[in-house]
Amino acid sequence: MAMDQGARRPFFRRRKSCPFSGDNAPKIDYKDTRMLQRYLSERGKIIPARISAVCTLKQRELAKAIKRARFLGLLPYVIG
Amino acid sequence: MAFYEHIFLVRQDAAQTQVDALIEQYKGVLSAGGAKVEKVEQWGLKSLTFRVKKNRKAYFILLNIDGPSAAVAEMERQMSISEDVIRNLTIKVEALEEGPSAQMRRREEKRRDDDGFSMEDMN
Repeated sequence: MAMDQGARRPFFRRRKSCPFSGDNAPKIDYKDTRMLQRYLSERGKIIPARISAVCTLKQRELAKAIKRARFLGLLPYVIG
Repeated sequence: MAFYEHIFLVRQDAAQTQVDALIEQYKGVLSAGGAKVEKVEQWGLKSLTFRVKKNRKAYFILLNIDGPSAAVAEMERQMSISEDVIRNLTIKVEALEEGPSAQMRRREEKRRDDDGFSMEDMN
């Protein structure tokens, strides 16, 4: 756990790995709205890669998939 | 030959028979242009997250196409004229997807377990 290190460096967080890299990672698909929804904020905005820990290459792919889904009315451009 | 995924939305007040007729019509256009339709998937009447041409819902139809771009372009042209088709999107893919798409798979899952484990709660 990060607790023993946390005493020394209070703001240290373990770097999470990209959820789309490695074996049996989910495929990024504009038709898979349930998967894409996880990468939208409450407002419907795309969550930045520095928060979701998606790698640069996959983030681009993800952004494109979300935008395609938005065009089809599967995902919102804005909520509220 | 190239592979395409094509999705088009039909306005909400169309009847299911009209939707079927439209699918046949565009399949005819494609085959006339020498393209093969590998799969037709109907997602049914789904609600849209925003209004498109005053429609709150739309019929979603997915076509997996193997054929020349000219045939697809002709179909797109005809769709843009049609009053019933409110939106369409063509995407060129490396390979066509086998089996049902994510949308259909999701529906089956829903039917199987209603109490669900939903990943959406992570937000």
